[in-house]
Amino acid sequence: MRVNTPADIASIDLDKAWRTLAEAGLLAMRARDGGAPMSSGVDVMFAVEELGAALAPAPLVGALLATELFTLADAPAALIDTLTNGEARYAIALSRQLDGLADASALAGVVCFGAEGANAALALKRDGEARYLVVLPLANARVLDGADPTRRLSAFTEAPVGEVVGTALSQDALDRWTALALALVCADMVGAMRQGLKEAVEYAKTRIQYDVPIGSFQAVQHMLAEMLVQTEAAASVTRYAAWSVDALGVAESLLAARTAKAYCGAATQVLSETLMQSYGGIGQTWEHVAHLRARRALFDRALFGDESHQLLRIADARMGRA
Amino acid sequence: MDYRENTDELAFRQRVRAWVTDNAPRNWRAETKTEEQMGALLRAWHRKLFEGGLVGLSWPTEFGGQGLTPTYEAILNDELGAADTPRVSFHAYLGRAIFTYGTQAQKQHFLPAMLRGDMQWCQGFSEPGAGSDLAGLRTYAELRGDKYVVNGQKMWTSGAQHADWCVMLVRTNRDVPKHKGISCLLTPTNVPGITIRPIKISDGSPETCEMFFDDVEIPVENRIGDEGAGWRIAMTVLSYERGPADIGFIATLKSTLRRLEGLAEETGRANDPEIRKAIARAYVVGEALRLNVMEQLSQRVAGKPPGPDGSVARLLLTQAEQTVRRLELELTGADALTGRDESDAFGAYLRSRTISIFGGTSEIQKNILANQVLGLPKA
Repeated sequence: MRVNTPADIASIDLDKAWRTLAEAGLLAMRARDGGAPMSSGVDVMFAVEELGAALAPAPLVGALLATELFTLADAPAALIDTLTNGEARYAIALSRQLDGLADASALAGVVCFGAEGANAALALKRDGEARYLVVLPLANARVLDGADPTRRLSAFTEAPVGEVVGTALSQDALDRWTALALALVCADMVGAMRQGLKEAVEYAKTRIQYDVPIGSFQAVQHMLAEMLVQTEAAASVTRYAAWSVDALGVAESLLAARTAKAYCGAATQVLSETLMQSYGGIGQTWEHVAHLRARRALFDRALFGDESHQLLRIADARMGRA
Repeated sequence: MDYRENTDELAFRQRVRAWVTDNAPRNWRAETKTEEQMGALLRAWHRKLFEGGLVGLSWPTEFGGQGLTPTYEAILNDELGAADTPRVSFHAYLGRAIFTYGTQAQKQHFLPAMLRGDMQWCQGFSEPGAGSDLAGLRTYAELRGDKYVVNGQKMWTSGAQHADWCVMLVRTNRDVPKHKGISCLLTPTNVPGITIRPIKISDGSPETCEMFFDDVEIPVENRIGDEGAGWRIAMTVLSYERGPADIGFIATLKSTLRRLEGLAEETGRANDPEIRKAIARAYVVGEALRLNVMEQLSQRVAGKPPGPDGSVARLLLTQAEQTVRRLELELTGADALTGRDESDAFGAYLRSRTISIFGGTSEIQKNILANQVLGLPKA
């Protein structure tokens, strides 16, 4: 399910890709076995990085986050089983700015992420102070022409009747979920950018101008070296965020995740621009993979809050609320 | 990898913290006015650390070290950085040249005294004509009988004003390719013919030195490794120059950031979203550095020797330090420019500019990454 040009997306059998995820056990990675997740945050990070590197059009991140929401809401085990074995597919409903879970009472502008093949999306419903997980049918949903063609987005065309699942979600549970969400999105960005760098380095070794490989020019070398530094730093903060999901308390884990997202968000914009630059003219063309990497990374950058969003919350955590 | 310290490491950290509280000199910045006072302070501090069992933690036990993992060096550096103690003198990575390449006699003669702090050391690599192009160095050592006669000039020999000995690179053969004609000598700094002059850096402090050599005689037994093996020795030394030591930097950055958060509060700007974002941004780049260094440290603990990817951490250190010092300058505002500021924010800002120069400029670090990590062809 590797995407190298826009044409590849249409040629990939997405149902088959989904079954592959299910059969490989990837959908069940965060299912609980005696209270503990089957796979550590770091293992999940590796899997998501691989799919990010391939620009895979399979909605693994959305599926893992849906399972996590059902689990945190204490949904019936039989229902969770249908997610982890791939039978049921849920999208994540996001606020218009993409910076968090949608509020089911205000669905105008809401975007459903990971909607490929999903027949319902998950949002939050408030009841006084309490917040519940609510399932919103995606019947008659409109597919959006989003910036990133490798991941399907859709929007509601009519106000759906939602159904509450499980028990109220505590702030701790929601923070834990946000920490996981941020770590996984960072892993997707790191995967997309690491692979992009690898390919750009190969190109610089083989593309000849002035009778020498362009990779022998210091200007090109420094551009690629800077990409390496930013990619490795992004990978380091992401790895810690993914580790902290299981290992640290909720406040620390959320701070680690916001730190990773702030770093990756800032780095990824520069990285995707530099990636397109490193190929010269061919990197600006529709058929080339560079813009697909940039599209994926720039969507990830906004997903669950961009750098600015995270920085303000990091400041709140360190300095107290403004 | 697990980012948490194990029981032994935690116990060590607690021991170091208590030891530092009891033993670190207080108010030392204000009390060391002259270079002589600074030299005496650094020497006394080194001896104290040695008496406390805190020198040579990761050196092999056969050379007087404690055979511990580099994690222990990192913990020590973290605690010393957090307590703002004087710097630890340059011994650990220079000693590595001696115990890796030296003879038995050299090891016995130098290593114990080096650990105890009886010999202070500096590194004589760069020259006026050999900065980034280190292998172009021209200080010449001519073999006459059982002595080398050295003539030339070294530059950026930090700590030379306080050092008893210098690990130096000299050219011993001008007729072979430049990397192959270099040897490594251990040179006492008090012999006739050596002149040491401080170099003031942009903030006005005598941060580093230049050394002049005029017919300086060095016994041939002070050479480490074979004649012509100097480049390889230098590369080993340089690869160990960074790593756990960076943790000390990180501790300083952390405490500076806390101080700046307080400063924002005092000056009524703690609620300005732009200031809050800038502070959080400095925290984030500091974390990127810390976490990258921890990964590299964990690879070292697993037995992987330091390699060219150390330049990643070096560039992240540069990014973090320069981000924080720019922020400090901004938060200090006009006071930093009018002389009213007592925290020396402007000096700290100027000093932060040296980070992208010393130990290999940022451009050289990128060359290393491009050629040795990414495998791009040489220009």
